[in-house]
This record gives sequence, structure tokens and C-alpha cells, in this order.
Amino acid sequence: MKFASSPILNPRLAPGRSRFVVILLLGGFLLLIGRSFHLQGFQNDYLQKKGESRYERVIEISATRGRILDRHGDVLAVSTPVKAIWAIPEDARLKPAEARQLAGLLDMDVRELNRKLASERDFVFVKRQVPPDVAAKVVALGLPGIHEQKEYRRYYPSGDVMAHMLGFTGVADEGQEGVELAMNGLLTGKPGSRRVIKDRRGQIVEDVESIQAPREGKDVTLALDAKIQYLAHSLLKQAVGEHKARAGGVVVLDARTGEVLALANMPTYNPNNRVRLAGAQLRNRAFTDTFEPGSTFKPFTAALALEKGKFRFDTPIQTAPGRLTIGAATIHDAHPHGVLTLAEVIQKSSNVGTAIMARTLSAEDMWQTFNSLGFGTPLKLGFPGEVGGRLRPAKSWRPIEQATMSYGHGISVTLIQMAHAYLTFARDGDLVPLSLTRVDAPPLAGATVFSGQTAREMRVMLEMAVQPGGTAPKAQIPGYRVAGKTGTAHKLENGAYADKYVSSFIGFAPASDPRLVVAVMIDEPSAGKHYGGDVAAPVFAQVMAGALRTLGVAHDQLLKPLLMAKAVKEGV
Amino acid sequence: MNTAVFTSRRGAAASPAELDPLLLWPALLLLLLGLVMVYSASIAMAEGSKFTGHQASYFLVRHAIFLAIGLVIGLVAFQVPLRFWQDLAPWLFLAGVALLVIVLIPYLGREVNGARRWLPLGPINMQPSEFMKLFAVLYAADYTTRKLDAMGSFRRGFLPMAGVILAVGFLLLREPDFGAFAVIAAITFGILFLGGINIRLFALLAVIAVIGFAVLIWIEPYRLQRIVGFMDPWQDALGKGYQLSHALIAFGRGEWFGVGLGASVEKLFYLPEAHTDFLLAVIAEELGFVGVLAVVVLFGLLVQRAFAVGRQALLIDRVFSGLAAQGIGIWLGVQAFINMGVNMGLLPTKGLTLPLMSFGGSGIVANCVALAILMRVDYENRRLMRGQSA
Repeated sequence: MKFASSPILNPRLAPGRSRFVVILLLGGFLLLIGRSFHLQGFQNDYLQKKGESRYERVIEISATRGRILDRHGDVLAVSTPVKAIWAIPEDARLKPAEARQLAGLLDMDVRELNRKLASERDFVFVKRQVPPDVAAKVVALGLPGIHEQKEYRRYYPSGDVMAHMLGFTGVADEGQEGVELAMNGLLTGKPGSRRVIKDRRGQIVEDVESIQAPREGKDVTLALDAKIQYLAHSLLKQAVGEHKARAGGVVVLDARTGEVLALANMPTYNPNNRVRLAGAQLRNRAFTDTFEPGSTFKPFTAALALEKGKFRFDTPIQTAPGRLTIGAATIHDAHPHGVLTLAEVIQKSSNVGTAIMARTLSAEDMWQTFNSLGFGTPLKLGFPGEVGGRLRPAKSWRPIEQATMSYGHGISVTLIQMAHAYLTFARDGDLVPLSLTRVDAPPLAGATVFSGQTAREMRVMLEMAVQPGGTAPKAQIPGYRVAGKTGTAHKLENGAYADKYVSSFIGFAPASDPRLVVAVMIDEPSAGKHYGGDVAAPVFAQVMAGALRTLGVAHDQLLKPLLMAKAVKEGV
Repeated sequence: MNTAVFTSRRGAAASPAELDPLLLWPALLLLLLGLVMVYSASIAMAEGSKFTGHQASYFLVRHAIFLAIGLVIGLVAFQVPLRFWQDLAPWLFLAGVALLVIVLIPYLGREVNGARRWLPLGPINMQPSEFMKLFAVLYAADYTTRKLDAMGSFRRGFLPMAGVILAVGFLLLREPDFGAFAVIAAITFGILFLGGINIRLFALLAVIAVIGFAVLIWIEPYRLQRIVGFMDPWQDALGKGYQLSHALIAFGRGEWFGVGLGASVEKLFYLPEAHTDFLLAVIAEELGFVGVLAVVVLFGLLVQRAFAVGRQALLIDRVFSGLAAQGIGIWLGVQAFINMGVNMGLLPTKGLTLPLMSFGGSGIVANCVALAILMRVDYENRRLMRGQSA
């Protein structure tokens, strides 16, 4: 055996090929390291951009809608977090018992649930706007394919009490009625956006950066006083029920600032549960429904007559025999009165007396005054469906129309317009604009409509109207001097006056230094009484008394038994 | 043989100190890192899947169980002398072929995603091709040892083995499992090469292999599609290049030090097979270049060490042991290279797992047994060099 062929010294397999294979493999590994180095150290930007296009998304961050507060900061409308329960139908294969359990928790029909879960889609809402505690119970069931998601719900703690004032929001959280619509711009924030990473199933797994921070909606502080509103609402509701009326409205204004302290309509609705909502409930009647005001309109004619200097408040006017023929038409008083002073015409609400005053006035002057008082044009407070009522141009007035218009027929107004116009008597003849929001600085004087002297004289006359001998002793309030005017207007149906009435009362107190204007309208009282003095005046008195107490307004008269003589029937 | 088993009781109850630390530590580190990364890569998928019952730890638990089984079987395998493995090699290979046949029988083999690769065995599925890789190592080493003198002959040395591999290849491609075939072909021809086969034969073989793959691709167009997708994944990034493009994005996101363990975005349903074939992409994203480097270096150490142990065995004329050890080195090295190459877009998508790390019971157990055999070779080498019996 040769030395070199010894198996010990010369193994049968030389290590050369083994080394070659190892070098080949390790060379391959070096190649991997080089590739990884290149990908991770140099192509990283390019690859990350590619990745971003796959899973980075810009999402909108919704801004929370601002709250609506009353003048004292009580919350009237707030967005509360709720949950939506949604499902991936493919994953949600529930056992019958599970489906029943889920349907029971969500208060829905099992068949409806199964129908939703049988959907072909990847995503279905099982139920939206679910209270968080219910959603937590649903999640605790641990059912496959059933998920929750955050969303907001607008909540109105006071329910139907101020439904028309506040309105409500739609599915997309935008205002649809009332203040929610009128001040939607303020309440709605500006949504922001964020860049996020989503997993392939669309769930956010990483917050990359904020592109634009959301601007939260601003809170709106209304002029509304929740206590007065509650009072107005409940008293109106009671009266509408008692008189079996079709509808009704109450407006409370602050005479010093023009703030709307309360606004209630009947029928109303619960904004938190709008499932069975009828159009009649939705109507914000104080703004949208016009009616012929009737006698509550007479003071404007009287004031204009005083302004023109043709009458003084004690100028005698012959109203006998209780009717007045103009052209082919004759107007009547309910009760013939004989000679009345101008003040007594208002106190006793004589149609004939008012028409006689109007005959001395030009149609142009009357139109000018009514127009300055805001009639015929909407208030433009931003409420949906606000109307201006009907005030035809003076040129088209026939003499009979001028006469009827003087006592509130042949013209149509909204309740809020009437309340607003009465501010001129409660103030010294000027008209401040209305404000839905709280006014912190006392406003400057508004546009002057009547002189201060006229306004003061009107206050005296209107105070007489609630005294014994007037049309509305029931409007009196213990401890305060009250001024106001009743209205009982026949309703027009298809162009003819029907046996249906609108009873109203508009007044202010304390008469010595008016603080509040309250307007009450009851539509079609049908429980026997229909005179404004019987139907609307008591509501006025209760609302006014409560509101004055709430505001802590000082008495301007000794507390004494009220003289409730039988009211003089006003002309209808 | 009995004497070998029974007289070496002292050796058989080998203390851990007898285990080569250069083999043991890289292997253990890879196994443990694999466990952590399988959990990280699978957690979102497991939680979001009906199939796992929405258990986040579904794959973690299973992988840990497989690891434990693998380590126990490995410990047992370590007690088995190489002589024994050599005797068993042809039978194991035959058994492996039998399993590859059974897996193709309808109702016995289980099909997943269009590939019939699994045999359902009660609660688990066995993947015969993973064990076939181990059996191929043992069989090729045994074959080469037996035919050492015929390695220069085409007819006696090369042709029988080539025929056997073609037959196995035929079975594997019926599943289909192209990746396993590539690895087994690399193992067997690598061992023949190490066994001294005529170098001109080998060149011829290389030419035949190239033509063969070309024909295979021509027959099965989906392989061509994979190659097209691999050339430029951005060309059809949402179609054929989808998987690779997401793997590459994962690498790009990882940069030097990664986005942090658990923070991968790609694993959130974007990257398919994140816990199996594309585990390295998740490692690259979460642990960065440093993590990838560590994995490659550990595999490199393991491969280098396997070959060193093999050469040591050859030096003391233990041809079967030497070839088996190097065969295992080729197996782990080639499969790791292909898997990582696929992850980085260097190679077309294969369907091969990362050895020792990816999720998969059969693969982990087969890998553990292979490591045990490797360590046994080293152990026997050292005993023999100390003058003790193997």
C-alpha cells in the first residue's frame, strides 16, 4: 500500500468538494444579506410609499356638534356617544338561541335580525343608535361576526317641552328644524382629518398623523329660560286640552332686550323619539302659521290715530248703533256701546269705534305703520318655514278692507310677529329686533314706530282692558299691573268666515315698567268658550305670573283680591 | 450492532456538555425566535379567523406543542447510532415513498389551496414531503456510501439515483409540491457530488435540470406566472405580484432596526402566509435588517458547522455519517436560502417554509430529528477520536 493511499492519511473523499458546496451556500447567504441590506437600507422609502398606497387612508374626524344651552347654562341639546351594532353576515352564523338572545337585547324582531344577517353584503348595520349599556351587553355575548361602532346621538333632555324651539338633527347630524337648523353653522364643527393605517379588514391599527385637527362645534346659549319655557309649555298644554283646541301657541319676550324667553306650541312631539311623527306636531306654529289676529290688532290702529293727532285718548267716538255701513258692507259690534272715548274703544274692543278711527287715516299711513311693526315680512330668525303673513300694498285697499284691517281682519300674522309688535307698547314706541340667543349687553333702542307719549297712553288703555269693564279681567295677576288685549277672530275657511275661532291674548307686565311680553293663541277652542278673554287670557295670566316670579320682578301693586267682574264681550 | 448500542450506554446518555455548542445554540436560537415570530405573525390572523375560533394564541400553542414533540423525538433520535440510521435508510425511504403515494389517494390525502400535501392523522395533519427530505438525506448518503467505487460510472453510479429521484419528483409534482422537489433534488445530487460523482456527469445533469425545469414550466403555466410575478411584482402588484410586493413592503418598512416586535402592519391580513412561507418578511418588518442579518448568520453558522462535522466524519472514514451530516447541511442551507430568497424577491414564489422557524408540525419535527442526527455524528466523531466506540 502506498503511503498516500492509506485511508487514514488520504480519506476517500477529499474535502475540496465539501468546501466548494459550503462556499456556494454561504455565498448564497451573503447574497441574501446584500439584498436585505439594499431593500431595508436603500429601497425603504420607495417600498414604504408603495405600502402607504396599500394601507394608509385619510379619514375624517367628525367634530362634535355644539350643545344648545338655555340662558342659565342648562343643557337643552347635547350629542351623546352611542353605539351602532353591525355585523359581518358571513361570520355571524348564530344559533337560533343566540339570535333570539341578541334580538331580545336589541328589542327587535328575530325574523328581522335573521333577514339582516342573511344579507349578501360584507357589512350590515344590525341596529343603530344603541345605548352604550345595551351595546356592552351585546358585546359581552361574544357572538361571532357581531361588532359595535361609536356614533353620536342628539339628545334633548327636556323632551317635548321645547321641541319646536330647538328642532332636531338628521341622520347626518345636520340641523333640520328649529335652532338646530337656524344656528346649524355655529353648532356644526369643522371635521378634521387624520392619516391612519388600516388593516386589510378596514380597522384602524395605527394613527400616523393629524392632517387637520377638527374644530368642535360651538355651544349656543339661547335667550330661552328653561323654567319659563316649561311653564309656558305645560300651561298651554293644559289649556289646549281643557278647551279641546286644535292647536295653540305661547311666546314670552323680554321687553327690554327682545330676547325670546319661551316659545311653546301645541301639538308638539318628543324630539328624542320621532318614530311616529305627524306633520301637525312638527309645525312651529308661532312662526309658520298665520291667522287673522282680530281685536289684538286694534291698538296699532289706535296708536296711529294718536300719533296723527286726530284723536286724543279721551276723544269721544260715537259707536251707536253698534254698526257701520261702508259701501255695500256693514260691520258690527258684538254689543252696541254708544259714545266711547278712544280708550274705551280699546278697553271694550269696539269694531265700529276702531273703523271710525281708521276712516280718518290714509291707507298709506296704515300700511307704513303695520309694515314698520314687522307685519307682512318674515322675521328671518332662521327658522324653517317662517312666514311673513299677508299685508297687501295700500294701493289695493278698498275702504271696507281698510276698515276691517283696522281691527285685525283681512290681514294675517304669526303669533311671534304679534308678540314682537307689542314690544312697541311695552317699550317707549321703538321696536328692537328679536333675539333667539342670550343678549348680554342691553341693546340700543330699536327703530321708532310710535312716540313715547303714544306708547305710554297705549299702556294705560291696555291696562284698562284687563280691568273690570274691559274684555279680559281674567288676565289680571295679583301684585302686578297687567296690560293687554284680547282677540277672538273668526276663522276664514274657503274664503268665508266659519264658526271657528282663534282666541288670543297679547299683553305685558308690570304695566308700570314693562318687563315681559306674553302672547297666547288658542286655535279652535271647542269646549264651549271661545272668547279670548275666557280662553287665552287665563293662560296669559298664569304664564306671566310664573315668569315674573321666576325673574324676580318687583311687584308694582299691592296684593289684593282681584276684581273679576264679568268681562265685556269684545266684537267679533 | 447490539454491542454498539449497549456498550455505549455511557455515551448514549450523553450529557448536554457533549453537544456541540456551535450546533446547539444557533439551532435553539432559531427555534425559539421562530416560536416568537410565528406568534407575532399569526396573532391577528388567528384572532380574526373563524377557522381558529378567534383564539389569538391558536398558532402559538400548536407551534409550541410541535416544538416540544420535536425536541423529545430529537432527544430520542440522538440516542440512535448512525450505524442504525444507515441500516434503516432504504426502508425509511421506501416508507416515505409509500406516504407520498398515500397522500395522493383521494379521501386519504387532504387538499388545501389546491395542493394535496397532507395526511390527516386525528387532530393533526402530517406532511410526508417534509419527512421525505430527511429520508432523502439518509438514503442518498447510504446509496453513495455503498456505491462509492461506482461514482465515476454513469450507469451504475448516477442513473439509479437519478431514476429514484425522478420517481419521487413525479409523486411530489402530483401533489404538487415543487419546492420540496427542488430541495430533495438539491439534497440527493449534492450528496452525489460530495460523494465524488464524475464532474462531467454533474455538468450534464445541470444541463438536463435546466431543460427539465423549462419543460415543467412549459407544461404547467402557473409556474411561469409565478416567475412573471417574481420578475416585477409591481407590474401586477394586486394580482400575481401581490404576495411578493407585500413581502418587499415589509422589508422596506423594517429599515435597520424594525418597527418593533408585534408592530407589523403587513401581517394584518395583507401578507398571506405570514406565519409560514413569509415569516422572514414579518421578521424583516418587526426586527429590521438586524433581525434578518441575525437569522441569516445563524443559518450560516449551522450550515458551516454541519459541513465541518461532516468533513470531520469523512476524515475518520465514516462516509455515511459524513455525507448524512453534509446532506443535512445542504437541506437546511438550500431550503433556508430559497425561502429567504423568495421573501426578498430573488427567487420565484415556491411554497417552501423557513426551516426551524416557520409554522408547521411535520417540518419542525423533521428538522429536529435532522439536528439530532447531526449532533449524533459530531458526538460519535468525538468518541471515536478519543478512542471510544461510536
